[in-house]
Amino acid sequence: MSFNKESALLIVAHGSTVNPDSSAPTLAHAAKIRRRKIFAEVGCAFWKEEPSLRDAIFLFDPKSICEVCVVPNFISEGYFTQTVVPRELDLNGRITKRPNGQIWKYCEPVGSDPRMTDLLLQRAREIAPGVPEAETSLLIVAHGTDLNENSAVAAKREAEKIRALGKYAEVLNVYMEEPPLVSDWRKLTMSRNVVVVPFFISDGLHSYEDIPRLLGITVAAGVDRGRPGSPPPATALGEIFRRNPYKIGDRLLFYAPSIGTDPGFADIIIEQALAAKS
Amino acid sequence: MPDSIERCLESAAPPFCFGQILIRKTNAGHFILIHRDDEPQKNLEIFQNPDDAIEIAKYDDAGNYRPLKTAPNLRHGWRLELADLEELRRALDYFYPGRLAVFAAWKGGELKTTPLRGTLDRQSGMYRVAAKISDAQINDLVANFCRSNGGCLRTILWKRDRGGGIASTKLPKEKFDPGIDQIQALERPESPPPATTPVAATIPLLCQEACNLLIAECRKVVKGK
Ligand code: SF4
Repeated sequence: MSFNKESALLIVAHGSTVNPDSSAPTLAHAAKIRRRKIFAEVGCAFWKEEPSLRDAIFLFDPKSICEVCVVPNFISEGYFTQTVVPRELDLNGRITKRPNGQIWKYCEPVGSDPRMTDLLLQRAREIAPGVPEAETSLLIVAHGTDLNENSAVAAKREAEKIRALGKYAEVLNVYMEEPPLVSDWRKLTMSRNVVVVPFFISDGLHSYEDIPRLLGITVAAGVDRGRPGSPPPATALGEIFRRNPYKIGDRLLFYAPSIGTDPGFADIIIEQALAAKS
Repeated sequence: MPDSIERCLESAAPPFCFGQILIRKTNAGHFILIHRDDEPQKNLEIFQNPDDAIEIAKYDDAGNYRPLKTAPNLRHGWRLELADLEELRRALDYFYPGRLAVFAAWKGGELKTTPLRGTLDRQSGMYRVAAKISDAQINDLVANFCRSNGGCLRTILWKRDRGGGIASTKLPKEKFDPGIDQIQALERPESPPPATTPVAATIPLLCQEACNLLIAECRKVVKGK
């Protein structure tokens, strides 16, 4: 991939004032992309963390960077990608020319990329190695009832695409707060093996504690927060993901980390940015 | 070609301070970063990867998550050894995300500030109501929330409103002066340091626009929480 010496990549994400793991995957993807030296600079900005989306306006020196590709690390289009991010970054549409001459290109959110389907499939296979897909139910978990967010719609689209491949015995969408509920998984599925993949951008309380509780996983959810010197949090998986499979009744449950922690996200971010450039 | 941030770091000439961090340069051209309060200590945990700054900056001494990286609660007991300017830049950007770029923009005369009322009026969704905060409430809130002593170490550059009203009359004037080290201003609240004391230079942490945490606090004041 050629080096864009006057182009910068800005990955924007939600971040959190309470969840220390929220920004970790975004930072890890940025570090990975930086090492590949495709862009002159790679920065991140967050709605709820630093640097803020407002700070991002000043992140790239207009004397050396002519073009900034903004990729929203969000699971779907919605309130943040359509209202908050453009407003805070002073963007007016897909292409914005700043008074300092910089061109800012606003890309599609990562979750909208067609390659998301392959990533979900790959994650499902990795978490349950050697388990025949034809004897497995795959559950994709989304939040549901999100304010103005379309994450449930995106999760549904992904489930439909995977179902159409005919690999898994069944592919279902389940939600934390609206039916079909995660907690009804035993009633909803028929296979002995059940693979559960949270369709979230990062791990946090939902994936470490709420979903396991709804699934009936009783093991203590030791959260591997990562301390200085430990591997980057996006790959330092929480304890909960290292105890697979969980035997619940006559079922075998395989529980995966949030899809957004997959290193494959970095490739999709690059693709989104390069697609906007051309 | 070095960009504006690298030029700022090059001209900062170590030793210098950046927030609660002291940066020194070794004879071999490497950089050593420690917590400013840790200077005399010897038994510091050693790190050598700029990415370690992410985790060092994440929790305070008590293990609590730090949602505001410019709050004066950086943990102690570490020493970060970095090979070159590129690594230094990366680490400092993890400790105080975005602050070097904002400083470089300010030095280059490119930094635009946004009055608090501008930030409040722009909000949507659950934060829209925050704009109802009164000037008197802003005066008290900013004095309490942004104060260098226990709140935030940034130098406030934004005004309360387009009319140029000061962010808070209850904060010392040093809080608005990028030439003053916020930590030293705390130690000597009455007088500036005597010229004879050798003092490490400081890169100020600048606040060109109210952060989301302050906007969330404005909302709480309006909602009477
Ligand atoms: S508004 Fe600025 S000075 Fe006040 S707490 Fe937020 S970052 Fe610090």
